[in-house]
Amino acid sequence: MPGLQQEADDASVGQQDAVRLRPAAAGTGSEVVEDAIACTRVTKRFGALLAVSNLSLSVAPGEVVGFLGPNGAGKTTTIRMLLGFLNPTSGSCAVLGADLRRDPGLRRRIGYLPGDFRMDPGMTGKDLFTWFGRIRGGVNRARVAELVQRLHLDSSRPFAALSKGNRQKIGIVQAFQHDPEVLILDEPTTGLDPLIQREFLDLIREAAGRGAAILFSSHVLPEVERAASRVAIIRAGELVTASTVDDLLDRTRHRLELRFARPVPGQLFDGVPGVVAAEVDRRTAVITIDGPAGPAMEAAVAGPGLLRVSSASDDLEDLFVGLYESGREE
Amino acid sequence: MLAVLSQVVWRRRLTLLWWSLGLLGLDALLAVAYPTVRDNGELDRTFAGLPPAVQASLGLDAANRLTSPVGYLNSQYFANLLPIVLLVFAIGLAAWSISGDEASGSLELLLANPVSRIRVALERAGALVVLLGILTTVAALGLMLLAPFTGLTRGLGGDRILAAAMATGLLALVFASVAYAVGAATGIRSLATTTSASLAVALFVIEGLAEQVRALRPIREASPWHWLLHSDPLRHGLLWEAWLLPILVSVVLVGAATGAFARRDLR
Repeated sequence: MPGLQQEADDASVGQQDAVRLRPAAAGTGSEVVEDAIACTRVTKRFGALLAVSNLSLSVAPGEVVGFLGPNGAGKTTTIRMLLGFLNPTSGSCAVLGADLRRDPGLRRRIGYLPGDFRMDPGMTGKDLFTWFGRIRGGVNRARVAELVQRLHLDSSRPFAALSKGNRQKIGIVQAFQHDPEVLILDEPTTGLDPLIQREFLDLIREAAGRGAAILFSSHVLPEVERAASRVAIIRAGELVTASTVDDLLDRTRHRLELRFARPVPGQLFDGVPGVVAAEVDRRTAVITIDGPAGPAMEAAVAGPGLLRVSSASDDLEDLFVGLYESGREE
Repeated sequence: MLAVLSQVVWRRRLTLLWWSLGLLGLDALLAVAYPTVRDNGELDRTFAGLPPAVQASLGLDAANRLTSPVGYLNSQYFANLLPIVLLVFAIGLAAWSISGDEASGSLELLLANPVSRIRVALERAGALVVLLGILTTVAALGLMLLAPFTGLTRGLGGDRILAAAMATGLLALVFASVAYAVGAATGIRSLATTTSASLAVALFVIEGLAEQVRALRPIREASPWHWLLHSDPLRHGLLWEAWLLPILVSVVLVGAATGAFARRDLR
């Protein structure tokens, strides 16, 4: 079967890529230097709380890595260590080959968007772009104007008067305005409407196209799926898995919502290979599939008049169920 | 050059304008009211009957009667009103400089730029000095311009008014440095404000009580209030204790706190 062969190839590529991200032991010294972003066995404790544990992570130039995990998993803590805002309890973080705390000048080549973007409420976007431009060694007015126009931002109103989405746009412009070599973005699409989200994902792809290394965190899978080539998944401070997006999608469970013309018999999906759970409610069935979707789809087509199929959930927790189990086996 | 300092000053320009207008209004009120006080000998007798501690805390004594320009300005302005106004302005700004801005989340955004923490901290301290300096100068200039019209300059040169205002500004700078230092070292704004404000109040009370309570005198020697009130710049000009000590203490506080800020975790 050609399909299966293809799948096996992808999986093996995924395995190789994953080695570069796997926590501890696997990374060799020479690799770390090449990477634009590198965390090496980094741990952060806040008193008794272990926020990040022995995490290794790297992003090469031209690469987009999605940093995925539920809220409170340690994504922001990791990012704030990368930027030098927090001191690691052990391990080290480097951006462009150096510790940003020791070499602040390197930040000229970095764009950062915090998870909770806030600025002086009386300042306008325009004020901020000009000020940060000055600090970074010059304002690229043409680039700022282009970004403002693409994101449909009114940069002449004070921050305090803007909606959540417009505030986030200011954050995006200031992160991209100097065409940095490294972009570190914490939950960048928060508050953006779908059209602007698409524009933002284009910005990411363009930046990667000219060689920027990009790490962006998220707690939802679809946007990572669309923009990233690799994903690192963190949960309770630990790296659960790191792989290519393709590999991840092959390995993880997914849920489908099926709508039928007539009431669904309760046992429709019983014993169907790959279906690990099925909830039936009159004319609707929600099934969780682990592995190929083919058999489940065949069963659905044989059901009482299949009307529509939609993805029921992009919930990370669902994803983790599968990942955790496969992670334990390895 | 000084992009962090100039941004603070520029962003605060309206605030500074309102505070300046307020102080100028106060200056005008003092000047206008003086002729009435000057001609009221009853006031002198009343105040002379007060306990020495109270008189001292008002900057009055046998040589400086309330009705004299020096006594009037000390008791109504330089020993209380002006320090309080400058303290409120300076402590608020100092607590914001690191800890307030850190709590609001915008300090982190600035520190993602190619500026070291030490540079940000020192430029913010510099902005505090600039803004406090402007406000102090405005207060002095207002009085120097208005005083001659109401006889407040009788036996009192403009240089003395300027000296008294500067000494008061330096007193505010010391307590602002405390707020700055606590905020920079801990990142907790409320702690910065309350530590500094309660220290200022406590030392002010001690300054008054020490006239009678001998045990408090050693503490008084280390108090910015004592450096200001005891040196009486309105009479003697700017003595070294009124400018050198505040500057030394402020430099040490800002230096130590900047070092701590450069090493710690941001909140």
